[in-house]
Amino acid sequence: MSPPVVEARGVTRTFPMPAGPVVAVRDLSVTIATGEFVSICGPSGCGKSTLLHILGCVDTPSSGELLVDGRDVSTLGDAARSALRLSKIGFVFQRFFLLPMLTAAENVELPQAEAGVSRAERRSRTSALLDYVGLAHRTHHRPSQLSGGEAQRVAIARALANRPRLLLADEPTGELDQATGQQIVGLFERVHADGTTVVVVTHDPAIAARTPRMLSMRDGRIEDGASR
Amino acid sequence: MSILSALFLFATGAVPPPAPPPPDPPAILVSRQLLASEHLALGDVIALSGDPKGSRAREFRIAGVYEPVPDPARLGMVPLEARLHLSDLLALIADPADPAASESVRSIGVKLVSPAEASAFMRDLTVRVPGLLLRELAASDDSDVTFVVLDRFHLAISLVTVIASSIFLLALMVMLVDERRDTVAVLRLIGLRRRRIFIQVLAEGLVIALAGALFGVLLAVVLEGGFNRFFQWRYDTALVFVRVTPAIAARAVSVAVPLGILASVAASWGLLRRGAMALARR
Repeated sequence: MSPPVVEARGVTRTFPMPAGPVVAVRDLSVTIATGEFVSICGPSGCGKSTLLHILGCVDTPSSGELLVDGRDVSTLGDAARSALRLSKIGFVFQRFFLLPMLTAAENVELPQAEAGVSRAERRSRTSALLDYVGLAHRTHHRPSQLSGGEAQRVAIARALANRPRLLLADEPTGELDQATGQQIVGLFERVHADGTTVVVVTHDPAIAARTPRMLSMRDGRIEDGASR
Repeated sequence: MSILSALFLFATGAVPPPAPPPPDPPAILVSRQLLASEHLALGDVIALSGDPKGSRAREFRIAGVYEPVPDPARLGMVPLEARLHLSDLLALIADPADPAASESVRSIGVKLVSPAEASAFMRDLTVRVPGLLLRELAASDDSDVTFVVLDRFHLAISLVTVIASSIFLLALMVMLVDERRDTVAVLRLIGLRRRRIFIQVLAEGLVIALAGALFGVLLAVVLEGGFNRFFQWRYDTALVFVRVTPAIAARAVSVAVPLGILASVAASWGLLRRGAMALARR
């Protein structure tokens, strides 16, 4: 049996503030198994995005352990965490975060180029990914020429570029209308069905309801981690 | 009387000699400016006097025109000059009441190619021409020479300009880098290392600084001709006001490029040392 993709053990994240430290995540333990599709939901400020950033090795816990593929990464330096993100973790954000000066294809190629994938392989993989997200006809369009839904699809294709084990999405439908949001959730379902572990942060109960497992957070803690 | 004279001449069989042609006036050269201001022409005969009242004027023929040696110390003064042979000059200005006026010399200044040999030169001259009073004049202190002062003034201006433009450049780079905050955030979130982005920014800074420096040199070279022509026209001089030499261009590039790189490094470091999520949040 393969180890969990990511496991947090007693993780706490405190932000020092002028008015006193703010605890965003408190002594939280959670395990995301390979192949899961998990949603994290809760009210604003409950710590769900902070948890996602810790799981994605963007942020480091103030205390506790974080294991990715069974390896403790909570004490890794910035360069090692960057390398880990590049190879094993894909990110999708509410604001898409595509590079405006690059075309859709170039945005998808970027992480592959950084990972040292050959040019021919990059092109082939990029073409396949854009086709996968239904944007084969938008290959050479820049982000400003894409709709919100299309831009988010390109962001998903970019997140999948280096075949990550874990795909993390932070409010991926937050800037989209309901119909487009549903299409994006459908795309996540397809990515999950194809074998990638997916964790989505959302405050939309309708989206959370479509995931097999939902983690409900409040005040930096998981209240309920039910699987359905 | 005329009959007698004619008879006398006839009797002697002599013919009165023709009157000798007047002597050709000595040749002089006049400056281009003098020629133009007095509407003179080559071959014209003019009268010159050493006395402002015009007494004892002598005639000279203009044999040529010359461009006076440009003298920055006389900028703005129109050089209305003439060049005479030394003997003509002496004849023109010598005091007729002083019989030795054209034959005596009170002092002669000698400038040596190697000032260090002044003592040896004086010893040698004393031996050869006894009775001469020789005095060595120390080389003037450069600090009070007008153009040395001007040079220092230029240096001060250039230092102030470099410092002010560096501050401006740094502020500009900070703004430019901040505009790319989202881009840096994306690159960091994707997994690009700080060092990788830093090198990228450094390379960009180098290219921009080089391009800027070369553009500046090119602009200076293009403007050089225009500046010189304008001021030469304005002051009617052959002085060169602006000169961009390879050494000056090299110095400008060697100052501008490190400054440009330094500004881009300082500006980007402020961004790169922050966490990826801190960059992504607005």
